[in-house]
Amino acid sequence: MNREDGETDRRRRFGVLCESLRPDLLRFAFWLGRDRQLAEDVVQEAMLRAWKSYDALEDEERAKPWFLTIVRREFARTFERKRLPLADLDELVAAEADVLAAEDDEQLAAMRQALFRLDEEYREPLVLQVMMGYSTKEIAAMMGLQQGAVLTRLFRARARLRQELGLAPEPAP
Amino acid sequence: MMNCLEFRRQVGALPSAGGPELDAHRGECAACARHQDELRALDALIARALAVDAARIQRRAAGAGGVPATRRRFFAIAASLVAGLSVGLVLLVSAPRTSIAREVVDHVMHEPGAMNLLVPVTAGALAGVLDPEGTRLRPGVGDVTFAARCVHQGHVVPHLVVRMPEGAVTVLLLRHREIDEPVQIAEQGLEGVVLPAPRGSIAIVGQGLKDPAGVAQKVFEAVDWGV
Repeated sequence: MNREDGETDRRRRFGVLCESLRPDLLRFAFWLGRDRQLAEDVVQEAMLRAWKSYDALEDEERAKPWFLTIVRREFARTFERKRLPLADLDELVAAEADVLAAEDDEQLAAMRQALFRLDEEYREPLVLQVMMGYSTKEIAAMMGLQQGAVLTRLFRARARLRQELGLAPEPAP
Repeated sequence: MMNCLEFRRQVGALPSAGGPELDAHRGECAACARHQDELRALDALIARALAVDAARIQRRAAGAGGVPATRRRFFAIAASLVAGLSVGLVLLVSAPRTSIAREVVDHVMHEPGAMNLLVPVTAGALAGVLDPEGTRLRPGVGDVTFAARCVHQGHVVPHLVVRMPEGAVTVLLLRHREIDEPVQIAEQGLEGVVLPAPRGSIAIVGQGLKDPAGVAQKVFEAVDWGV
């Protein structure tokens, strides 16, 4: 394979990766920032950064956590740079109503709103665990926390969701 | 022996948890077993809730951040008119000067073989490239002989080659790249233009075209931006 073919192949492989991971990255960024425009911007920017450091990805099997880490960092950078205003929760829910909508499924819609209202410190590990399938150990490494702290956050996240949905409370850990 | 509090602490953080100790406690305590089942059902609901439609996130973000549909339609029509008027002017008057032109040329030169393909791609393949953008190409403009989603400046962009009666042109839909005015391309034997579009911009380039402005306008008008 000559140099030009190699570069074309590299671009294509990166394109395929981006395409396959993009829906999950968008969802992750959306639940992180609760704003789809922000999610789209962060994911685009993250892909740009990922492309620049694509050579650092030694194992494409590990591409997803690698991309997620870049998205998390980009999200933090965006918050730092733009100093995004704190929005009223009801306004956030209303602004993203059509993404949160669940036709003919009130329970699902209620859960989406409850997740939207969950504090970031609880929402993020829950998204990483339930949506991305990460272990508490992996989440701890990703978030720079002790594993025990992650377990507590996950416990509280579910407890708050149960409370929000009017289900019976659980004993505190 | 595990007690109820310890059991609930563990399954509260990980409802799918199992193992000899947890299973033994489940076997002895019906209330805790029921509690874990409830939490598993809750997790199934959380998983469904988190799995929002990514296309909805993208569509809205692509749709000018919540600008009402009427305004988007107006913009589409206005952009079409402006493009029509300005394509000719820009090709005649302006000189190649910006990096976007170079970026487009570099991209096209990276895949020189794409311009030589003659067999039209299937409708499904074309839809696979354009659907994620919420766009489509109206029939009649020419045969699409190459359609791929390529990485361009870190963004995934639809890359088409359209074989028209006037010649083959490469079309890149650069949704991420907003420009204020058309930019001429005349580098490395390629000529064409990058036009402001309802979603970002669109690059249209070819080789040896007799009427690049007319070709660009035809292609621009053939794109249904879905706005």
